[in-house]
Amino acid sequence: MKKRLSFMMLLALAAWLSPVLAQEVEVTSLSRLLEGVEGPAYYPVLNSAGDRLLFSTENGALKLYDFTDNVTTTVTRDFVAGNDACFGGDGKVYFVTQQSAENHLVYRTGQCYDVASRAVTRLTESHHGTVKAVATTRGGMVKALGKADRDMTSSGSGAWTEDSHVHVIVDGKERVFSPVDSWAGYLWASLSPDGQRVAFFAAGKGIVVIDLRGQVVAMLGNYEMPCWYDNDYLVAQHATDDGHQFTSSQIMLLKADGTWQAQLNSPESMAMHPTCGGGKIVYTTIDGLLYEMHINIYR
Amino acid sequence: MKKIFVHFWMMALMAVCAIGNANAQQPHVYINPGHGGYDSDDRNMVIYPFSVGDSAGSWESKSNLRKGLALEEILKKKGYKTSISRRTNTTNDDLALSTIVALCNQSGADVFYSIHSNATGTSAVNNFPMVFYRGYTGSPQIANADVLAADLEPYLYANTSTVWTHNYQIWGDWSFRPEWGTQGYGVLRGNRAVANLSEGSFHDYIPEAYRLLSPYYCWMEGWNISLGADKYFDRLDNFGQGVVTGNVRDDRIKRLQENPQPFIVYGDDGLMPIHNATVRLLDQDGNEVQRCQTDTLRNGIYLFKYVEPGTYTVEVSEPSHFSQSETVTVSANAPTYQNFYLKRVRDTPPVVVDYSPVWHEGDPAVKCSEQIVLSFNWDMDSVTTCDAFTLDPPVEGTFRWEDSYYRLVFTPVDAFDVNTLYTLTLKRSAEHGGGTPMQEDFVMQFYTQPRNHLGGVNVFPYEGAPVHFKSPVVELRVDSLLDTYNLFQKLRVLDSEGNELAWNKRGIKYNKRGDDYGFVRLPLVRDFEVGKDYRLILDMDIADTAGIHLPAALDINFTAVDAGADKPGMQVVEGFEKKEYYLNCGHAGSATQCPSAQLSFVNDRLFGNASMQLDYDFKTYDPNYYFFLSYNPDWGLEDDQWEKPFYPGQTLGLHVCGDMSYTKMTAEFRTNGDWVKIPICTVDFHGWRYVEVDLSSLPESGGKLRHIFFERISNVMGQTGTIKLDNLLRGKASGLDEVRLANMEVRHNGDYIVVSADTWVQGVELIDMNGRTVKVAGGNCLNVADVARGVYLVRVHINGRSVTHKVKL
Repeated sequence: MKKRLSFMMLLALAAWLSPVLAQEVEVTSLSRLLEGVEGPAYYPVLNSAGDRLLFSTENGALKLYDFTDNVTTTVTRDFVAGNDACFGGDGKVYFVTQQSAENHLVYRTGQCYDVASRAVTRLTESHHGTVKAVATTRGGMVKALGKADRDMTSSGSGAWTEDSHVHVIVDGKERVFSPVDSWAGYLWASLSPDGQRVAFFAAGKGIVVIDLRGQVVAMLGNYEMPCWYDNDYLVAQHATDDGHQFTSSQIMLLKADGTWQAQLNSPESMAMHPTCGGGKIVYTTIDGLLYEMHINIYR
Repeated sequence: MKKIFVHFWMMALMAVCAIGNANAQQPHVYINPGHGGYDSDDRNMVIYPFSVGDSAGSWESKSNLRKGLALEEILKKKGYKTSISRRTNTTNDDLALSTIVALCNQSGADVFYSIHSNATGTSAVNNFPMVFYRGYTGSPQIANADVLAADLEPYLYANTSTVWTHNYQIWGDWSFRPEWGTQGYGVLRGNRAVANLSEGSFHDYIPEAYRLLSPYYCWMEGWNISLGADKYFDRLDNFGQGVVTGNVRDDRIKRLQENPQPFIVYGDDGLMPIHNATVRLLDQDGNEVQRCQTDTLRNGIYLFKYVEPGTYTVEVSEPSHFSQSETVTVSANAPTYQNFYLKRVRDTPPVVVDYSPVWHEGDPAVKCSEQIVLSFNWDMDSVTTCDAFTLDPPVEGTFRWEDSYYRLVFTPVDAFDVNTLYTLTLKRSAEHGGGTPMQEDFVMQFYTQPRNHLGGVNVFPYEGAPVHFKSPVVELRVDSLLDTYNLFQKLRVLDSEGNELAWNKRGIKYNKRGDDYGFVRLPLVRDFEVGKDYRLILDMDIADTAGIHLPAALDINFTAVDAGADKPGMQVVEGFEKKEYYLNCGHAGSATQCPSAQLSFVNDRLFGNASMQLDYDFKTYDPNYYFFLSYNPDWGLEDDQWEKPFYPGQTLGLHVCGDMSYTKMTAEFRTNGDWVKIPICTVDFHGWRYVEVDLSSLPESGGKLRHIFFERISNVMGQTGTIKLDNLLRGKASGLDEVRLANMEVRHNGDYIVVSADTWVQGVELIDMNGRTVKVAGGNCLNVADVARGVYLVRVHINGRSVTHKVKL
């Protein structure tokens, strides 16, 4: 009886391990981007087609790389603009700049860059406090002091986080959810390509996938910066630290229903800030080297 | 009615605008209490009485959280908007660095404080505040991050409840950690707020670790950070209350050190913090305004929060100490520090309750290395007690107090004289810490043994010794077994710049029970540099197992040489590479037991493919025994074919690898029908050495080298050992042996190699690692700007000699 029990336990263990161990994803190509052209690059963001890439330089300037003509242009040299910029559904770049006033309060301004005309438009006045760029399917917007710079009914769909709330707009109608307890806050919300689910990160809980009614579909584990690879898979960062500096960082592929996950590179690759679009994955490393990765999923 | 209604809405609108305006001017501070969760990325200082991993003990995450929560409370009270990254200390709340940064960015905060305490991570013990911002020092990535840091640090450093070892420091993290490149600290990376990481103090300074257990002390750091924020936002005048805090210590009792090892303390941290002291804050009418109590966690910290400005009395009381009070002035939004040093209540006169050595007439004599120890019923006054201490006959010595002035230890500077009766008198003028003297004198006597210092001291290197640079070894020998505890720390080799060279601790050999003499043999980790001077220092307290120490400290100067260097004018007559020799033993009288010896050829060599190794065992001491090296007749050569002729005026040179056996080596020559013995050396060294022998005592017709004799001359040392021989030379004296290379120094800057010395440098050669000469120059300067970068050898010709250095271009 005892032997039989052990055998059953072994079988169960094997069954549990098999999704992790099986070679069900293959990295088909991995190449350096902008090698010898650009210095350290951080916070990469791909557009949904995967043919344009935003990134931030060491000194905080926001740059745009066009894969089709292999040209890099500077969107703005305003410091920190490159951190948390995004592509709107209209192809424009939405970003936030900041200035420190004499009284040392920090004022932030929402801006928009038209890729075609290369013109920068100021979307909001300078605000003291949070100003956030949000991507939506019909464009993008800047949220300042809890208000959007435009009528959200024309924005299409999108998702963002504020404190411990995830905001979802579907066809201009906004809903606010707090499906898991995370008093420290939610981050990095994004709508799945088919617009049916939202993934976000809840501090202390990890990545959460909800449906449009705010119901939790899956908890994907304590990874950061989720982005949708396609409707079924997400890519995320898995980093560890010693409280001061990063001790490892790698890119993970996660099945959106929480049933499977795989490492796309080793913990020692120090890979960070993954972004997905058009079937490609781009990430940076701790020292600012950009990589483009392509994968095949055999599931 | 309509008017009233309109008026109401206008008022409401104005109120909303006012709130909006207030919010627009309200600074927002994001607080990150560093680490968290008692996890592997946390920092646990194991201090008594807590064990490893005990969450009640000292954890950086815990004190960081207390500081952070205090800062949040204080800033809210001061009208700030705050956000904080954790409120508890669990694994789940120990957020990843990227998450903390993203939360801060999302919050729209103006400034960010990551709150930590520091550790040196080394044996060095420091305590001072540090703050970091992202970027190079003086050039922050986010504007004003350096200003925020400069506004904070003076407030942290002003805290006199602690003991600082250095002034505060402000760094850009890229400058502080250049090895990380521009990676920097994780919570500053990508942070859009004006961000600082504050290391408030050093938690591996043990008294600070105890202070960080105090919620009061942590709260004060939060308060001081809030003052830094006030200064930064020009809001120092916006808050109307102050704080009073400080430390309560005994005025002379030393703090207990119950950690596994005694720990380092600085300044007042050497005094005992007082537990459970009641501290009261009284107004000018004597009314109690606030009251608090020091805890039992060895920190003595008290605190009164949010005190209205004015003049107060702080009164401290504790049953075993006299109460004390001080007047303090509290200012708005400023700290008031007031430390207390309480006097202990001592209610009986002091007496000696125990002493050593205890000796009575007829008892065995006392060791000359013995310390005199007196134990008292109270902590004693150092000055009056030491003044009351007399020895007859007088002995120069030092006093040491232990157990917080309860125990006095007298250690003679040298050792007590042998065979002497000493009388110790402690006069009744000795007082305890409260000033009461003893009621009568204390007197004791002891008689000393007939030995008071280590004898038979032999050291290698000895003064002026030439030491082969490669695999150097130091050895000390004495006449009794050495106490090996931490012995290696009492011998030090210093280079010419005073840097201590490391021992290869795994290779150290110590005497063991049953050995005939005491010794320690210490190999060094690194080779010496040829031509450089070194010092070997031996502490006087190197002692045997009975505590008998050296008669004096030793400071020995020696020079590193290359025993295998070129010997101009000398010709190799024997390489000791072929098995044409044999070892034999002999006895000047009637031999009863022959020494045994073995010959082999080994890789440890100076020249060619091998050196000849002689492993010997004299088995017992008999001055008539010897063994000798000779040609092996089995090889079939006639004497004339292998004997090496030497003539007066010539020099015999021999390379010997010694074992500090004090074996006497002698060359025996066959002359016209006679035998002449000429001493080669006494093997009083370790490692290779080139020795030259003056052959002027040979007859005019010369002599043929026939034997090399090895004789044991010490009845204690040299019974067994290993000696190696390499190239035997003949010629005029090279002058290389035991000559320093004139303080030679080789420097290079990539373009030039420059040699400096006390004497004329004839030339410099650059040799690649394949032995090819790449470039040569006369004089002391060689231009290497056009030479490919890499590792080379530089051969310097100086005073007819040459020496080789390795350089990396």
